[in-house]
Amino acid sequence: MTQQEHTAPITDPIICRCEEIRKSEILQAIEMGCRSVTAIKKYTRAGMGVCQGRTCARLIEQILIASGISPQAAVARDKARFPIVPCPISAFNGSDKEDQVDAPSI
Amino acid sequence: MKCADILVIGGGPGGLGAAIEAAKAGASVLLVDENPRMGGQLYKQIHKFFGSQTHYAGQRGFDIADTLIAEAARAGVELLPQTRALGCFDEGQFALLSLANQDATRLRTMKARRVILATGAKENAVAFPGWTLPGVMTAGAAQTLANIYGVLPGKRILILGSGNVGLIVGYQLMQAGAQVLGIVDVLPSVHGYEVHAAKLRRANVPIYLGSTVVEARGETRVQQVIIGQVDACFQPIEGTHQTIECDTVLLAVGLSPRTEIAAMFGCDMTFERRLGGLMPIHDETMCTSNQTIYVCGDLAGVEEASTALDEGRLAGIHAAAACGYGDEARHARVAALQSSLNTLRSGMHGQPRKEAKNDILQLAHRKGIVGETI
Amino acid sequence: MRIYKHPILEIAEAKIVTVYMDSQPIIAHENDSIAAALIASGISVFRHTHKTGEPRGVFCGIGQCADCLVIVNGQPNVRACVTLVKEGMQIQSQSGYGQVGTPL
Repeated sequence: MTQQEHTAPITDPIICRCEEIRKSEILQAIEMGCRSVTAIKKYTRAGMGVCQGRTCARLIEQILIASGISPQAAVARDKARFPIVPCPISAFNGSDKEDQVDAPSI
Repeated sequence: MKCADILVIGGGPGGLGAAIEAAKAGASVLLVDENPRMGGQLYKQIHKFFGSQTHYAGQRGFDIADTLIAEAARAGVELLPQTRALGCFDEGQFALLSLANQDATRLRTMKARRVILATGAKENAVAFPGWTLPGVMTAGAAQTLANIYGVLPGKRILILGSGNVGLIVGYQLMQAGAQVLGIVDVLPSVHGYEVHAAKLRRANVPIYLGSTVVEARGETRVQQVIIGQVDACFQPIEGTHQTIECDTVLLAVGLSPRTEIAAMFGCDMTFERRLGGLMPIHDETMCTSNQTIYVCGDLAGVEEASTALDEGRLAGIHAAAACGYGDEARHARVAALQSSLNTLRSGMHGQPRKEAKNDILQLAHRKGIVGETI
Repeated sequence: MRIYKHPILEIAEAKIVTVYMDSQPIIAHENDSIAAALIASGISVFRHTHKTGEPRGVFCGIGQCADCLVIVNGQPNVRACVTLVKEGMQIQSQSGYGQVGTPL
């Protein structure tokens, strides 16, 4: 039996996996007046990491709705801009020197 | 610059259906998908599909994908796998990034008169303490590892979510030799089809209803998971916790539409919980508030492969007609597809989706979203 | 853990390739993704995060979440789940954002 088994459950999970933003930070942002996914993003950096909010936007939406904010308001996101997925700079200069692997990094 | 009548983004059942119909009507069609091969998630579906003959009942997903890809190639669709749509610019220009490294110039632009978005859906997650530990992954990730690569994600597996994805993936992992320790769901009853749940029950897999994962623990990988019952507000109840020793936790808690490209095109969105959340508003021709953009499949509301295929075909016929292609037979074809969709959206599981779809259509009418008449 | 017996899928004889994870040789199958090859060899930690250094591995499996980032032949931020292995590939677990040209 490990020592861990005796400890009480932790209750503050990470919400944004990339930027490692916890639920308490999201709730604090709501308390400070954030009312949408995009407002939370600007206040906490949740959704600004490498995956660009692909996993956490939905979770933040749920936290906002659970806090009593209407779904239609909560879902407001920043307009997607080019390029909609992160891609290597070499994609733009025509150079393929970077291509040592079959798929470019993000 | 490369030009096509119709650009289809996403090569799953919806995109393939759309590309096939548009090409058959006579339009020049380019179909792009970021994966090494077309077919979307069909290649991971090793179970037999239900339904009618027109929906490939009795066939397995990967066979259906092969059939559709061959049909698209015969119809003259230009297939571009390993190609990602990065965005759109003025005057119908699109930026496509080739992910295949043999291409010298990887970023290419092209022009299309109409675009059909079939970008599909992404998996939802649940955030509990420890959900970032290696060993916690989406059910789709496990399905990809097992059914595409022949690798088990773990030996002792717990699944969160009793929808069809959770049930099917659980059974498939057992077929592949893993031990499924249980299915956990906050709902009071199994969410997916009983036929899938029955297979797990026969194998003595416990289904923990009205319960959730409280925490996953481990040093560098999940070693144990604490589950507990939930109250009416889905909050864990003290004193009901139990510990399950496992190395893998799969999240099978639904899907939401992948809306990034639709948002970039300025398509008006709505939040429809019954169809997976935020999604583009569309009318019965699958046209969005941007008249050159059509949507289909899970992007237009998360449903099933068979509905995606039919919706894709509808979008393909209408987008081709908007470009001036198609003969008189198309009207009968559209009617047949709509009736087929009606059949698919019936019964206990289908009816709520039918009602949600009708609400979307009415919203489109109120907002004056009307595709070109054909 | 490879699947060798399956009631539905045909398990074809795969060509074996050798790749290296943090300099340790790993036997992989041709057409494996890096993620599949690592998991088949019992490796579940692919990287450590930049803020708290916690371990991460495969999460979404389809190139969406960017949790499975590894360094491949000196190039950081390669998604292990959508990148296929190649004979002799040098894979390193990534720390934080990685570094371009990390010495092998």
